[in-house]
Amino acid sequence: MLNILVYGAVTSAVYAMLAVGFTLIFGVARVLNLAHGAFYGLGAYAAYVLTARLGWPLLPAAIVAVLFVAAFGVAVERVLIRPLRNSALAVLMITIAVGLLFEQAMYLLFGSEARNVPAFSNATWSYAGLDVSGQRLLTLGFGAAVIGLLWLFINRTRLGAAILALSQDREGALYVGIPADRIYAVVMAISAAIAASAGVLTAPFLTVQPTMDLLPMIKAFSIVIVGGLGSIPGSILAALLLGYSETIVAYAISPAWTEIVSLVAVLLTLILRPAGLLGKRAAF
Amino acid sequence: MKGRRATGVIVVLAALAALPLFIRSEYLLGILSVCFIYGIWATSWDFMSGLTGRENFGHALFIGAGAYTAAFLNGKVGFAPWWGLPAGAAMAGGLSLVIGIPTLRLRGPYFALAMLAAATIMQRLTLIFWQYSGGEEGIPGLDPLLESKAAVYYLCLGVFVVITLALLLLAGSHWGLILRSIRGDEAAAQAAGVNVTFHKIAALVVSAFCAGIGGVLYAHYQEAVTPDVFSVALSISIIIMVYVGGIGSLYGPAAGAVLLALLPELLRGLGQYRLWVYSLVLIFILFFAPEGVIAPLWRRVTGGATGGAP
Repeated sequence: MLNILVYGAVTSAVYAMLAVGFTLIFGVARVLNLAHGAFYGLGAYAAYVLTARLGWPLLPAAIVAVLFVAAFGVAVERVLIRPLRNSALAVLMITIAVGLLFEQAMYLLFGSEARNVPAFSNATWSYAGLDVSGQRLLTLGFGAAVIGLLWLFINRTRLGAAILALSQDREGALYVGIPADRIYAVVMAISAAIAASAGVLTAPFLTVQPTMDLLPMIKAFSIVIVGGLGSIPGSILAALLLGYSETIVAYAISPAWTEIVSLVAVLLTLILRPAGLLGKRAAF
Repeated sequence: MKGRRATGVIVVLAALAALPLFIRSEYLLGILSVCFIYGIWATSWDFMSGLTGRENFGHALFIGAGAYTAAFLNGKVGFAPWWGLPAGAAMAGGLSLVIGIPTLRLRGPYFALAMLAAATIMQRLTLIFWQYSGGEEGIPGLDPLLESKAAVYYLCLGVFVVITLALLLLAGSHWGLILRSIRGDEAAAQAAGVNVTFHKIAALVVSAFCAGIGGVLYAHYQEAVTPDVFSVALSISIIIMVYVGGIGSLYGPAAGAVLLALLPELLRGLGQYRLWVYSLVLIFILFFAPEGVIAPLWRRVTGGATGGAP
């Protein structure tokens, strides 16, 4: 019981970190970023290169890795997405090409074997028959903190207000002088940085491989569909729902069945409530 | 103009049909057979997604469904290989209903995302339920549909040509016009009394059915099936082939698929970098030739606008 409670929370935190960035860039810039998984993977690989190949200590390596991925995200937005923005299909294709290039580049540079990234904490917490690694608890805490900060940033700052305005009414926002292109770059940086920090934090207990980008991304957009495209509270709620459903299925039936949970959740949502849990009806 | 186009088609077909008379290498005939199977996949993708504008990011779901159904019937149950064709196509068509009905009634990116998710999750499931699907190794030891490589070549060419012509006819018919009207303006088509949801789902079923047939041919050509038939890389490769050919024209993607599938085989040593090359080609096409390469070229050579293109 306690197992489910703690492990479910850790899974949910990781999912929320991935889904929030994905839904943010969709809500604000109408970009369905299929390279989102590549940001997550690039974070983990950057941390691996800095720590294992260059021998950096973990904390600066993690910070530089996250900043590097944020810059990469801005570059992708600026160079590849912006010129194609008037065609939704072209944007989808260019982001999926970036994802494909990431996989191929990691495969050529580092091979297909799994790589190790050191953990921040090697301690194990034991309580009432439950063992959780410190790294997992750290992931949970960091995820909760990041989402809280993002919430404050969007609702309490001027830049956050501009982001909200753009997501609500693009033309209205342009008329009052909000610089849309600059905001898109900021949102892309935030989205990429959160995905990359999830990659760095989960790397010690998940595998770092060239194909690591795909499943987390599939989870991210399953959550975003269940929560409602473009809604941040919706994706947090859906991350909790899917994180806990998967953990319960893993304990009650078998870990093999967890992969089906998100697909069933997506299909059920689209049949019963297409706008998602907290989506606006205008979303479809 | 029509005469020149017909001549062009006949010349290309005659050349392909005569090829086995000159090429004695079984290896090369095998590669060409796979190229035709890619042609089936690209044309069937274009029929649904090119005409209606609803992009399908998981065509491999239907390919894999056809391939695994055929492999299961032949390799595990022991049916004659030909049973795979109807069964695999039906399985792919059935799966398309499961995904299509909930997602295609909606506007927005739901269909694209659900297809990508479904194909990836199916690939995971083949690994997880390895007792039935053979896991990473897949199901080996299938019987070939026909014994000689030349016969398989003609089979793949024949199915490819029949499917391409049938889909071109459908695309040129009244139904094709309805499908293109959905891409042009879905709301306007609906206002004009077109049941857009029904037509989108019907087009998806046709597309899935053809992809399933291609999957069955592929499984029996390889005499084995592995989880790679569900991979995102396969889905994306097919979309890239369609883009190079010219989206929405059907014949362009058919030719684009054959040529792009052949390219890495011709340039030896490139096979390993295939996806790398494909993604660079895709970025190039998106920025510099959004209409594709082959269909516009064909139109210029044979003169005038050809059917199928919007």
